[in-house]
Amino acid sequence: MESVNQIKEALSARSRTATLDELRNEGRKRVRLIRAEHIAQMVSEAVHAAVEQSGLLGQEEVDGLIAKSREEFKGILREREQELERARANEQELVELKARFEELTGALARTRAELERAQADLEEAQQRADAQASAASAPPDPPQPSAAPVSNEMVMSLMQELANLKASVAVQQQNQQGQSAPAAAAAPDLSAAIEKLAGTLNERLDSFGKKMGISAAVDGDAPVDFGGLFKDEDESLESNMDNIQVKQKSGGGIAANLAKLKKLKGGG
Amino acid sequence: MTENSDNDLNIDQTTDTAVGLGKGLDVGTANLAAAVQNDEGGITVNVERNAFLDIPSDVYSKNMLTKLKVPYVVHNGKLVVIGEAAFELANVFGRETRRPMADGLVSPNEQDALPMMKMIIQKILGEPQVPGENCYFCVPAESLDVDNNVVYHQGLFESMISKLGYTAHAINEAHAVIFSELADNDFTGIGLSFGGGMANACIAYKSIPCLSFSVARGGDWVDKNVANVLGVPRSKATSIKERGIDIRDPKSREEEAVAIYYRSLINYVLSNIKTRFESGQNMPSFNDPVDIACAGGTSMVGGFIEVFREEFAKIDFPIPVGRIFRSEEALTAVAKGCLVAAAIGED
Repeated sequence: MESVNQIKEALSARSRTATLDELRNEGRKRVRLIRAEHIAQMVSEAVHAAVEQSGLLGQEEVDGLIAKSREEFKGILREREQELERARANEQELVELKARFEELTGALARTRAELERAQADLEEAQQRADAQASAASAPPDPPQPSAAPVSNEMVMSLMQELANLKASVAVQQQNQQGQSAPAAAAAPDLSAAIEKLAGTLNERLDSFGKKMGISAAVDGDAPVDFGGLFKDEDESLESNMDNIQVKQKSGGGIAANLAKLKKLKGGG
Repeated sequence: MTENSDNDLNIDQTTDTAVGLGKGLDVGTANLAAAVQNDEGGITVNVERNAFLDIPSDVYSKNMLTKLKVPYVVHNGKLVVIGEAAFELANVFGRETRRPMADGLVSPNEQDALPMMKMIIQKILGEPQVPGENCYFCVPAESLDVDNNVVYHQGLFESMISKLGYTAHAINEAHAVIFSELADNDFTGIGLSFGGGMANACIAYKSIPCLSFSVARGGDWVDKNVANVLGVPRSKATSIKERGIDIRDPKSREEEAVAIYYRSLINYVLSNIKTRFESGQNMPSFNDPVDIACAGGTSMVGGFIEVFREEFAKIDFPIPVGRIFRSEEALTAVAKGCLVAAAIGED
């Protein structure tokens, strides 16, 4: 390790850095590359050969040095392999993260689009609700130009109801003129027609409310079952409550109160 | 507030058995109280504070809590100390208790507290004496000053109590005060319940409620403001309030703060009641002055009824009022009223 680093430092000190363009300008099209480790290995081999040939060291010492050098080389090799493995893993992770990011970006875009559509639907629904409310509270005249947009089907239905109402009134008037029927007889029919119109509007408001999910409009008078709130709590929780005595207070009896109440109810 | 033929059956059972059937449950923001008739002709009320505190769970803590007779529940891997002990521990450690209810209704921030609340209610109510025994529980009226809705709250407790084997019926909290405190007036007059989260009012004629409403201020409002001005946890403010002070004669800066906010609370409640009565909607007219009965844990502080009378004298109340008094059993009066309703089978 140390020798390789020293060689690297030596190479750095005695070499220059050149870009590919600079090399091309110098007329070099191909360059030879060698890793610092290989140079170190060559130097090591050269040293070994020189030492071996010099006879300064015994064969045993030379073998020891060679074994040590091999160990050092193997260590360097393992280190490089691990670095390479880490780099590959990082690269793979990066690819996966990029893919996940793109997936999430797509999902976000889709969610935003859905939200915008939902908001648009909600605004439209609110406008319709406002229009229905104003139609319900207004006298049975033709719709005002300033009213909020109402669906064609709804307008047609309301116009039909109004036409029926007018026809009913006209028939009543004819009956009154032609047959001099009692005025009282006309009133129930007119009332019934108005009630029918109001009923139609209410039904439409209810129907619309149910579509909108407005709780007051969805079976407002129906009893609500809250039993589901405790369905997960039937399993017993660990507790020491059975062994604990709660604080007790004594109070005056309620016999007199009950007697008075029964008397009020006429039972005693 | 529902009524069915089962109630009539219970009237007979009440008169035939030595210990009358039916139980009353005060579902209060600060305290839960269950009342039942005992075999000595009186009533027994089990009371537990409606609060809890979670602490890390380990075997040592469990054993210690059991030895100290401190109730706990293991929930979601945490050791949850329940009731009065939670309040005391919170004061020791300078922490805030968790509260399943706020402003008289189930707290939206403490939905996971329902199992604990169910256990407390199960403990204080006990088993029904007969299957489907009547249990009347109190619910607040809708508030004049905040937009609230009791439907969810009422439905939730109806379901909870039914699961414990009772036939659950809701009764207005202040109406229960009338059942408990105004028997001598033929159940005619004004019942006021000063609770932890709300003050409820009901005016009744011969037991029939004519007008019920609430304002969303109570003992918690006092605690919150006292805690703010003194810079202490709310549990500490509650402790100051409950240690036996007299709001007519505060002895320290802390007691002075409690007294100021109490007077403000009473004034606020009375002003709202006056305004509502003056509006004239559904208001009965009385030939004779009617009594006002105050109850609820918040009314238990020393000097409450005197300050109430002082503040009452400052306003021009729209109906003639006779006696103004506080229940002798202010903390348990609502539960007692619920018990009366359960026993008579009427809401």
